[in-house]
Amino acid sequence: MTLGLSGPHLGNRITDVRSGKTTTWAELPGFTIPAPAAVVVVSSYDALPAVRAHAETGAEFLVVAAGRMEANLRAELREAGFAIVDPSGEVEPAAVSREPEDGRLWLLTSGSTGRPKRIGHTLASLTTVSGEMAPRTWLCPYSPGTYAWWQVVTLGLGSPGQDLVVVDPADLDSWVEAGIEHGVTAASGTPTFWRQTMMAHKDKLAQVPLQQISLGGEPVDQAVLDQLKNFFPDARISWIYASSEVGASIVVHDGRAGFPVEWLGRKAEGRPVIDVDGDELVIASPHHGEGLDGAVRTGDAVVVEDGRVLITGRISSDEINVGGAKVSAGVVRAVLQSHPDVAWAHVRGRKSPLVGSLVVADVVLTSGATDAPDVLADLTRWSTERLPEYGVPRRIKLLDAIPAKETLKSDV
Amino acid sequence: MSAVSREQLRALMGEVLAQQGKTLPEGDDALLSDIGFRSLDFSELALRVEDELDDELNFDAAGLRQINTVGDVLDLLTEIQAA
Repeated sequence: MTLGLSGPHLGNRITDVRSGKTTTWAELPGFTIPAPAAVVVVSSYDALPAVRAHAETGAEFLVVAAGRMEANLRAELREAGFAIVDPSGEVEPAAVSREPEDGRLWLLTSGSTGRPKRIGHTLASLTTVSGEMAPRTWLCPYSPGTYAWWQVVTLGLGSPGQDLVVVDPADLDSWVEAGIEHGVTAASGTPTFWRQTMMAHKDKLAQVPLQQISLGGEPVDQAVLDQLKNFFPDARISWIYASSEVGASIVVHDGRAGFPVEWLGRKAEGRPVIDVDGDELVIASPHHGEGLDGAVRTGDAVVVEDGRVLITGRISSDEINVGGAKVSAGVVRAVLQSHPDVAWAHVRGRKSPLVGSLVVADVVLTSGATDAPDVLADLTRWSTERLPEYGVPRRIKLLDAIPAKETLKSDV
Repeated sequence: MSAVSREQLRALMGEVLAQQGKTLPEGDDALLSDIGFRSLDFSELALRVEDELDDELNFDAAGLRQINTVGDVLDLLTEIQAA
């Protein structure tokens, strides 16, 4: 099986933060995939033997975190011909027998807009990095089986000199110390992950020897890019637009939110074609999942500002209708998060009389304070100076910590 | 949570206006148009009342009516809490 640049690099190292052990791909325990199979894992590290087995045999499988494996999903997968390999190693046979598809990998979508969907990929379609890369030690903080997790894992397996430090979402509090100890030089996370990290580890974070910082999975605003630049002035800071459906399609390295409007409609061999239809991002990508070739409506909303196309959030939740005037929750969120006292904000519409919805926000201050009337008044002034009247949050609730789910997103 | 009193409603209305640098006059007769209390402000006041009650207000119970003065606002919000 051909993978990445030059096939599986089994000498690349993997460190499991939970156990503190470092090994190589070659030294991982053997694993037999009863293909087609859904491999249920408690920790990210536990999934790696199955990944290596797939790279060597092409056996059809998917990885699913134990926390996501509800009874409905289990039954659905068995009906679709998957045997279920539980964390104990026990195998529950498929309800329907079928021939495995050689080389097939499946990803489950987050299910934030309904039930999780299965998207077909291969190691080749998940491997989007090309060209020579400097040796790096990558933090892998994602939930096993997600697109972002596969992006980091295929990098660690498919490119020479790319080592992994694997930490589970439940153990993220310990990643900064582990990052210092194990010399993490590259890390990828959602804006929520980075905001949590900067808030909780501001004294030690700069000691992690990061040279490459990536953000994705949620809208990326200028404030979080600038804050990271302050911690790591010499690191390359990139944001990536990627999904199970269209793969990694937009990569921006210039330290600015959004991407240049000139990229819209641009066609180049082997590159995604990015467009906007109305206010929706539409992408035709060579890294797409099975059956998703051609232009795919992403369901993500965009606005164009100062020559940049900004991705503001899911269309289904981004637009707030205030008395007939439309407000982008993402735009309001970016304004709040650009305030120097704000660590994180979540903006939504709240049902109200006369105008239908009002803009309201949950905010976490960098101080963690939840009783700060002066800051609240200043946030209202700050928003009034930068937003139309109907876009100014009318209720702001202060929370003491940034809420995040296993996906490292705050579901904004 | 017990109902928000007329006095508390007036205080909440004053907070909505104060946030915009405006003052709520004493008495119930002041015209909303004169003090700059508009539909967005009324909606915000309703949310503040809902937060105090920890419950949604049912505006259907109020029926259609003109709301012109401070007293009209206080009457309406008092009435729908009892509905």
